[in-house]
Parts: sequence; C-alpha cells; structure tokens
Amino acid sequence: MQAKWISKKDLQKLVAKWVKKYAVYAPVYNGKELAFQIVEKPAQIVLDDYLNTRYPAKSLILPQSEVLMKYDGILHGVENAEKEKIILGIRSCDARAMRLLDHALIDDQNPDEYWKRKRDSAIIFTLGCNEPEETCFCTAVGGSPFGTNESDGLLIDMGDAYCIYLMTEKGKVLFKDLPDADEAQLKNVKKMTKQVEKDMPALLPKQELHDALMASFETDFWKDVSQSCLGCGVCTFLCPSCFCFDIVDETVRKERVRNWDTCMFRTYSLEASGHNPRPTKAERTRQRVMHKFAYWVDLIDEIGCTGCGRCVKYCPVNIDIREIAATALQQDFEGMKK
Amino acid sequence: MKNCYEPFPMHIDRVVIETTDATLKSFELTFDRKEDREEFFSKYNPGQFCQLSIFGKGEAPIGIASAAWEGDFVRFTVQKMGKFTTAIHAMHAGDPIGMRGPLGNGFPLDEWKGMNLLVIGGGCAFSTLYAMTKHILHPSHRADYAEITALYGTRNSGLCLYKPVIEEWHNRSDIEVHQAIDIAEDDWKYHVGFVPAVLEEMAPKPKNTVAVLCGPPVMTRFTLPILTKLGFPPERIFTSLEKRMKCGVGHCGRCNIGHKYVCKDGPVFTLKELQELPNEI
Repeated sequence: MQAKWISKKDLQKLVAKWVKKYAVYAPVYNGKELAFQIVEKPAQIVLDDYLNTRYPAKSLILPQSEVLMKYDGILHGVENAEKEKIILGIRSCDARAMRLLDHALIDDQNPDEYWKRKRDSAIIFTLGCNEPEETCFCTAVGGSPFGTNESDGLLIDMGDAYCIYLMTEKGKVLFKDLPDADEAQLKNVKKMTKQVEKDMPALLPKQELHDALMASFETDFWKDVSQSCLGCGVCTFLCPSCFCFDIVDETVRKERVRNWDTCMFRTYSLEASGHNPRPTKAERTRQRVMHKFAYWVDLIDEIGCTGCGRCVKYCPVNIDIREIAATALQQDFEGMKK
Repeated sequence: MKNCYEPFPMHIDRVVIETTDATLKSFELTFDRKEDREEFFSKYNPGQFCQLSIFGKGEAPIGIASAAWEGDFVRFTVQKMGKFTTAIHAMHAGDPIGMRGPLGNGFPLDEWKGMNLLVIGGGCAFSTLYAMTKHILHPSHRADYAEITALYGTRNSGLCLYKPVIEEWHNRSDIEVHQAIDIAEDDWKYHVGFVPAVLEEMAPKPKNTVAVLCGPPVMTRFTLPILTKLGFPPERIFTSLEKRMKCGVGHCGRCNIGHKYVCKDGPVFTLKELQELPNEI
C-alpha cells in the first residue's frame, strides 16, 4: 500500500484538473444540506468538519429513482454510457456497503447491468473519520473509521494536509506525481488513527448475535422492540446497505422505473390473495434487523450493517438498532418461546 | 450482456377458459423472436415460473404450465385476482405481452430418476405439477421413473383444470390418477373429501418415493403432517412456494425467507430446507 502526502491546497488544484476529465462527486452544500453532487469548482467541496451526508453514497450508484426501460410497444432497456467518475470523500461505512450491494445485485446468472455500469465506472476515495459521531458504530460491525474496503484510496485529514493510502492502480494513477509520506508523518497518522479506533464501540459477537436472533424469531421480543415504530421507513431509505426496490410503470412518460422500496411498509410483502407474511410492524422490524445481523451472516459470514448510524440518528421515535442487538444478546429466548 | 429486467416480446396465441366460473384461464404465448425462444427452451425446467409483463399494469410471477415437448409456446394458467391478473383476463389471442424467464430452480427431475413419484395438487396451484407430469409422461422420459401416482383436489368439479388431458390420464396405465372434490356431486366418479383425508385413505408407501406438493397454504399445512405420518422423510417432500415478487432474480429483496430468496433459490424447496429456515411463509 502506497502512502502519499498532499496539502489541502494542492488537493484543490488536483481536483480542478480532475473535473475536466471526470465527473467528480463530493460532499457539497446544496442550500439545504450536505449531499454528494457533481463538483464544478473545487472550492465547493466540504471535506473539513463534516460527519456524513444524510443520503448514503449508494444513491450515486443505485439512484432513488432510475429509468430501467422505455416503452414503444415493447420495452427496451436503457443503456446510458457512463462517464468515468470519481467519488471523493465518502466514509468507510458507505464504501463497505458498496461491496454488500455488489453481492446483492451482481450474480453470474443475472447481473444487474444498471448497477454494474455505474459501479465499474467509479473511482472511490474514502475519507477517514477523525472524530466519529455519537451514533457511529462501524467498529461494532466489523468496520473501521479508517477502513479501506472497496476504496481506491483513503484520505486521512492531518490538519493542513492529507495522508493518502492508495490501494489500487486506479487510485495510484490519480495521485502519481505526489511525494511519499515520510516516516515521521506516517507515525503521526498511525498514532492518531489508533486512538480514534480505541474510543469506538467494541466488536459485536457476530455468531452469538446471529444465533440469538434466530432463536428470537417466534417470540414477543419483536413486538416489544417495534412498539414505538411509526413505519415511516426512514431507517431503510437512508441505510447504505439497503437495496430493496420496487418496479413501477410510469404510463405518461412511457417508462418502467425502479424506486427504492422498504420492508417497513405493509404493502411490501402483501400478496394479491390478501395473505401477508409480515402483517404487523413486529415482523417488519424483525426483517430489517435480522436481514442485517442474521441473514447476511448466513450468506457471506459478515454483518450486513456498516454502522453508519443513520437509522439511529434519523429515526423519529429513537429506535436504536444498537440497543436491539445488545438486548437480543442478553435475552433468554428459549424461555420466551410461545 | 443480457438485461435481466427486459421482457421478451411475446404474443398470446390461444386462451382457454379452464373453469366453469371463468376465474381461471390458460394463456399460451408464442415468441416474437427466434433467439428468445431458443434461449427459453435451452433453460426451461418444469417447476420454474416467468414474470409476465403488461406495460402499465406491471408484472406478475406465474408458474409455467406446459412441457417443452408440447410445442413452441409457453402456457400460463392465471387466476383472476389482482390488478395484473384482471388485466390479462381481459386479453385475447393476438394481443402482445411481455415475458421474462424461465426463473427459479424448478423440480430436480434428474435427482428423482428411478424413484416413484407422488404428485399432490390442490386448486390452481396444480399448474406447474401438470407441466412436470406431462414432461415425465412423454415416451422419452417415462422410463426414467418408476410408479407415478397423482392426487388432484379442487373445491368442485367445475374448478378442475386441464379437464380433457386429466380425463385421458385416467385411462392410461402408466399413471394412477386420483381426483377429489370437497362436496359430493351427481355423476362424480372419484373421491369426495379434502386432500389430506383422501391422501390418508390412499396411504401411499413412502419407500423409494418422493412426494411433490403444491396447493393453497391451508391444504399444504394439513397435508404435510399426513405425509410425515405415512413415513415420508422431510428431504423427500418437495413443495413450491409463492411470494410477492418484483425482479424475479434475487435483487429486489422482497421474497426472502431467512437468507433464501423464493424467486432465485426456490420456488421449489424440500420440507427439510424449510424446516431449517425461519417460519415466515
């Protein structure tokens, strides 16, 4: 792994060069909030003093609404040529989620070409989190505030400069003419990142939690934890690793469109016969939590939550997935079974 | 690379009103493009389903009710139920329609070679079992399997699907067919009673036999314990599940039971597989 050093001013100059060739996405204040948007001038980019964007970076690859096909008597897939893009300054939690979505959307038999095209054309530079939020818990679910998963390069803020770890060839090319970080600089970086990691929550016992949740399935635990849920779905819409979508026809526009969907809605699993395998918010909350902490573990032996904390921060009734996991680990579900 | 969300352009070739109350119709679709037809038939295995597609009404997952040897068409038997199925029920021969598939795993027919088959169907869920039985009864496949016994239950005789073909099966020597209706009718020659009770009375032997079960949830719930009581082990009881679906290829997330997707990992599961998953059918 290469380590480079660049002053914040020089990074701006470099970005000014990139915007000529690439679509550069970075956190930009859009008048309302910080969001990943195409950068026109490097000065727009907000990398200092920002924690995370409200919308997860997945929306750059899996947009909230996306035209899949156009209709002219028959349906034709839309093939937009993708300009190569640089995504600058996403957090490690959002980058790790990209890998989970790769797993969900790309298989040998039926790869999702829409996701794949956008994903393949993206170069990702993550930004380490020197001061994680109160709601952050990436370390509890197997990540790190300086994680390098799915990242072409990791930027670490060192005051007036960035230390940049470059993981891939794509990343190295873009920072090629810069000086290497020297030993003293790297030592400082290590010291700082170690301290930050140390203050983060401890790793959850993955298998133990999986087993506890499986045992909880037919108990009243889920009624209790979902009691206050309003079913608004914000936890899933803002989740970087949620990928569920609906497919709908827009007849006036003559388009078949996919939109983000959520397992927190009643109609999500409602069948035409009237049967619903998840009729109440208890089953729906159970699905959301167990998908992350049990089913992903069954599939790839990893927790499918990346600990970004958005569902905790934005839940209007303060449902906290960290508390649900912690409580589940303490319950005697065998004794609770109906 | 093929776009997994793009339907094949098809046309309705024939519509058959299956039941006396006309709530069930069969639609035979033909391919507009030769390459689509070839792709479909190179993959098709009985027990699979397709997403039928009508622009403006969306898509619906429907089991395939024809065997490949029947011809260059694909048959779907559709119950008029929701928005999509009401729309297709209003369509006629010659109308265009979209289709994606075949999707899902289908029945493991190779695994069953040399064994007896016990086919148990109820109501409109019989469609994929019909396709499978037709496939197996073809002269080039029949010798691969030992005895075949079918039990098909409907609420009344008017709701029985595929009547002419099932009538013909009654006269064949290479399949034993039992039919049941819920309440006695004049001129009914077969069983009267619910499928679980009729099955118990038939008492099929479990030795070297696989049981394949498709029916409404209530039938399935009461028939599984009978099969277990008769001595069928859970790994030799197969059933096909239904769920609300959108993409049909394991991406959109909605048809999961635990870590399995009914569209991609199913719809056919053994009872043993289902016992290992959370109870969320």
